[in-house]
Amino acid sequence: MRYLAIAASWLLLPALALTAEPDASQIVRDTIDNWRGVSSYSEMTMTIHRPDWERSMTMRGWTKGDDQSLVRVTAPQKDRGNGTLIDGNSMWSFSPKVNRVIKVPSSMMAQSWMGSDFSNKDIAKSDDIIDQYDHTLLSVSEENGFKVYEIESVPHEEAAVVWGKEVLRIREDHVLLEQKFFDQDGELVKQLKTLKIAEMDGRQTAVQQRMGDVDAPDEWTEIQILQVEFDIDIPDSTFTQSNLRNPRER
Amino acid sequence: MRTFRILFMLAWRNLWRNHRRTLIMLAAIGVGIWAMIFMTALTQGMVNEMIKDGISALPGEVQVHNPAYLDDPNINNLIATPDSELEKKFTGAGLVQWATRIKVPAVITSERESRGVTLLGIDPQRELGMTFIDLDNIDGRFLEDAADNAVVIGRKLATTLETEVGKRIVLMSQDPDNEIADRGFRVVGLFGASQESFEETYVFAGKETLQKLLKIGDHVTEVVVSGGDYRNVEPVFEKVSALVDEDLQVSRWTDLDSYLGTMLKVMDGFVLVWVIVIFLALSFGLVNTLVMAVFERVREIGLMLALGMRPSSILGQIVIESMLLLFLGMFIGNVLAWLTIIPLQGGIDISIVAEGMEMMGASSVLVPQLRLQDVILANCVVLVLGFLASLSPAWRASRYEPIEAITKAN
Repeated sequence: MRYLAIAASWLLLPALALTAEPDASQIVRDTIDNWRGVSSYSEMTMTIHRPDWERSMTMRGWTKGDDQSLVRVTAPQKDRGNGTLIDGNSMWSFSPKVNRVIKVPSSMMAQSWMGSDFSNKDIAKSDDIIDQYDHTLLSVSEENGFKVYEIESVPHEEAAVVWGKEVLRIREDHVLLEQKFFDQDGELVKQLKTLKIAEMDGRQTAVQQRMGDVDAPDEWTEIQILQVEFDIDIPDSTFTQSNLRNPRER
Repeated sequence: MRTFRILFMLAWRNLWRNHRRTLIMLAAIGVGIWAMIFMTALTQGMVNEMIKDGISALPGEVQVHNPAYLDDPNINNLIATPDSELEKKFTGAGLVQWATRIKVPAVITSERESRGVTLLGIDPQRELGMTFIDLDNIDGRFLEDAADNAVVIGRKLATTLETEVGKRIVLMSQDPDNEIADRGFRVVGLFGASQESFEETYVFAGKETLQKLLKIGDHVTEVVVSGGDYRNVEPVFEKVSALVDEDLQVSRWTDLDSYLGTMLKVMDGFVLVWVIVIFLALSFGLVNTLVMAVFERVREIGLMLALGMRPSSILGQIVIESMLLLFLGMFIGNVLAWLTIIPLQGGIDISIVAEGMEMMGASSVLVPQLRLQDVILANCVVLVLGFLASLSPAWRASRYEPIEAITKAN
């Protein structure tokens, strides 16, 4: 019996070590999974704020797996029907005004998505952070009764990422609190901040996030999630160009 | 012959009878000729620079492309012959210099900015001497070989992107399936070029690295061949045409940059027009001087006719007088032009107006270029037209009625 206990403790040791010093890549991976689920449907409002104007759009989004997503604007009326489809590394946009599906060319990937502070690339490649970076755990701290992991993510040499490094702050229940983008001199350029966390469809979700440049504090884009459903059944036909053009809504 | 000597003597002496008027006329002709030659040399110098810079933007006076590439520089419009096969063909052909390249539009992104650029995939060994960048003037290093994993960008571009040697940038382009091809590159060198626009537009990377990134296997988008003399590209053109497959398009630089090609042709015509315009202004002075000279000497000419001098000799005398004037003026003008051009051989620094010159595609140092054919052209035009202009007063002088002329009151 004693031998058995020792044998068992040997077997358990690696697992214990894992809980003591969690793997940074795994945390990032889990955070992305928590954020998107296997599939998800959400309704959100995007607010673009500039010193002299501000506007909001309401959108619906569907995601499936790591690299399929579809976003469609529902309000205001003049933007209604504008959509973006992402499938793998490719991105298409549709505007009912011109009634054309346009493949977003590489030359436009660095441009802003729907006039916001997110670039097309931010939207299309949001999960690149999993495999294009090396992650190291910087620190673990306590905040409001939660453990918060601070992770430094350095892009691989050949990764198509301009940042010198990114620093992520992730709560132990895999909610992203903050994502900071540093240039190659180690200077903070822009950051994504979670302003509000709430439970949605049984998961802790960042329901209000703000993206902004550090140089221009009065210019930011805020995304507020109004409703979200995780792990629902979405047919593959949702993520097609024809559905982008002619919505077949549930 | 004797008559000629007498006529020559008469003309020479007549020329200096009113020496002040003659000197003024000589000065006018001298300055006129000087202006013709000097301005021509300046324009030729400027054109020369423009063409040299223009050609350096597309190094290689003869280039081979897929026929569709020139209208649409798309990665799909590759040269069908594999690079290694091209290499074999060109190596033994006795060409001065050649290189194969990949040239595609791309977007370069740093942390703060992004810009559209022309991405060049090169084999650095082959490019030596075929590029507009000054290889001795590079911060950092140039690419080492075709498989080099880094990029070299222009100084101006580096400033716009707020990046520097040692930092990473991202290049995005498209592969033949229209998929985005992107990856991070480390900047290892910054180059300077004679024109800022080159520093802003071109990004150099290793040829093999780009072939991998763009998934185009062993293919390139262009072959460039240099023959050394850009004014005479036909021999190279013919050699290259014979070398490559028929479905490829071989073009001279004059076809590729028709603006510059036409400019070269137009310039020779422009020189002639310029010379004639100056001469027209000059000819009024010349004819006026001769008419005055004849008018002053009506009685004298009448006397000579009355004494038995033939009208043709009178005509000859006036023409010789005008020719002497022209020859002396031309001599002064040529010497003057030569004296002003020689000290400027190092080039005139016009960097004050560099920005404007760059819009025209010229660089900021202007080296006047004295070409023998332009000098001969200017002198011939003056001589021939001067001769024609002097015929009218000479003809009138030879047609005087001796009695009327003698009795004419001055």
